[in-house]
Amino acid sequence: MTISRPLALSELGQATLRQLTRAWFGFERRLALVPIVRRLDLGTFTLADYQQLLLHLRPQVVEGSRWISRCASSFDRDHSDIRSVVLGHANDEHRDFEVLESDYVATGGELETIRKQPRNIGSEALNAYLMFRAGEPNPVGLLGAMWIIEGLGEKMAGNWAKRVEELTGVGRGCTQFLRYHANNDDSHMNKLYGLIDRICTRQQATHDVVLTANVVGRLYALQLEEIDGAQ
Amino acid sequence: MKAFLTSTGSFLPGPPIDNDEIENFLGRVEGKQSRLKSRILKSNGIKTRHYAIDREQRTTHSNVEMAVSAARHCLDSSPVPTRSVGMLSCATTQGDMVVPGFGSMVQAELGVPGVELLTTHGICSSSVMAVKAAANSVRLGEHRSALVVVSELASRLLKSTRYEAAGGLAAMDFNSEFLRWMLSDGAGACLLESAPRGKCLRIDWIRSFSHADAFPVCMGIGSPTDTTDARTWQDYPTYGQAEAAGALLIRQDVRLLEHMVKLGVDGALRLIEEGVLVTAEVDHFLCHYSSHHFRGKIADLLVMSGANIPQDRWFTNLYTRGNTGAASILIMLDEFLRDGRASVGDKILCMVPESGRFNTAYMHFTTVAE
Repeated sequence: MTISRPLALSELGQATLRQLTRAWFGFERRLALVPIVRRLDLGTFTLADYQQLLLHLRPQVVEGSRWISRCASSFDRDHSDIRSVVLGHANDEHRDFEVLESDYVATGGELETIRKQPRNIGSEALNAYLMFRAGEPNPVGLLGAMWIIEGLGEKMAGNWAKRVEELTGVGRGCTQFLRYHANNDDSHMNKLYGLIDRICTRQQATHDVVLTANVVGRLYALQLEEIDGAQ
Repeated sequence: MKAFLTSTGSFLPGPPIDNDEIENFLGRVEGKQSRLKSRILKSNGIKTRHYAIDREQRTTHSNVEMAVSAARHCLDSSPVPTRSVGMLSCATTQGDMVVPGFGSMVQAELGVPGVELLTTHGICSSSVMAVKAAANSVRLGEHRSALVVVSELASRLLKSTRYEAAGGLAAMDFNSEFLRWMLSDGAGACLLESAPRGKCLRIDWIRSFSHADAFPVCMGIGSPTDTTDARTWQDYPTYGQAEAAGALLIRQDVRLLEHMVKLGVDGALRLIEEGVLVTAEVDHFLCHYSSHHFRGKIADLLVMSGANIPQDRWFTNLYTRGNTGAASILIMLDEFLRDGRASVGDKILCMVPESGRFNTAYMHFTTVAE
């Protein structure tokens, strides 16, 4: 059995998708208030801002592959179809951080500096939460985490990358990480629809997925807020 | 108590102007044809519109005159005499006078005595604010009838001389030119009553969600071209200096427009979650925004989540009457109802997403018979 886009979602599946969409809009709204994102919106974002953004994203991106792998191993044989999707995902992203490091170096940063960068308060909280949830048996709620993190990947690719180049004057060679998720739009959405259909068959699962999406969004925003908070 | 929308009216100045004729009315900045015009028109899809200025950019109808013409059109279709209107609720982006309020000027010209008066301030969604306040007044039993009048005269802002005074072509960019090919003039009106009259619309609910706390200004007048200058128009020693600095130009931050589609959907999802809106029951959808903006991923998401309203239920006259800002939704409703498109029992949803600083407004009606 493989997970693919269903022809239509069940009533509960539709309600889940609506709630996830609201969670995403709530996250975008919160992001718009984060100082570094606001500077990007208002056009006052600088090269130093971009370097800080990369520095603060790296610790979480390095850990990202770990929680996804742990999540995969927490699904039992009755959930092996979900495990396959998560494993594929872990494989896709487990070396993302190298792209990010190379972008940082291309902007004139030192490789050693970015490798030494510790997690900020938000990254610490986000990572701890994701690792905890990933260790629970059959952690279906993490579909909500995927929803937010993949949505952000698309936003970075479709929205932030060009804006960063425009405002700081850096070339495409410096924004490869931001652009990374640009090309798999449709397949990602189809996979998410398939997972909603597979997972959200009970109200409890929907509640779990939406709660996780909201927590992850809140902690991700905290991670970005701390870019200014830590300075 | 309930409120019923029992009559509508509209007024569009002069003949319809097609795309090739626009610059003959608005003028050519420094005598040159715009290089962005066809690209912007292609994206907004507008084919014809009306202007209350002539080929020499002289005003042919004031904003108040248009408002009063729409109000008369509305009242002429109703047995309710003008003098018995209890409340006059008006909206415009910019009146002819800076002060007093637009409503005072409309009342004077319309000749309606002793009304309770309201002028709402804002851009496109100010019309829905005016309708809501009027509806609430009727629902409270304070008035048996309330007249809503909304009018826009944007073309005066879009004249070539405005741009020349603000530095000409050298100072213009996509954001300052965008609305030149989007906005036009016109007025709409509707009459609300405490009892149904003939076939009319029962107001089920009117709601809006504003997001100014989270997002920057997307469309505005008052800030100079230089974005690092925090002054607004009245902070300059003279209005001449403000105009030279570009602080009197109308601008759209096109990059932020994508938020409008998302926040429009967000508001609808909030109303669905509350149980107020059931999209499957909506027979007619009147939206002050082109349907082609709701395409791609967001359209797919609406279909998959069961929140979609199929294309054959959309009604718009944006492409033939132009985008008349706040007046658009009432001009649309007027044409829709006069065409006889609503049958008894039909549910109608109107949506007005305002880009100004992101306010999305919704009105829901059910067609009833007396």
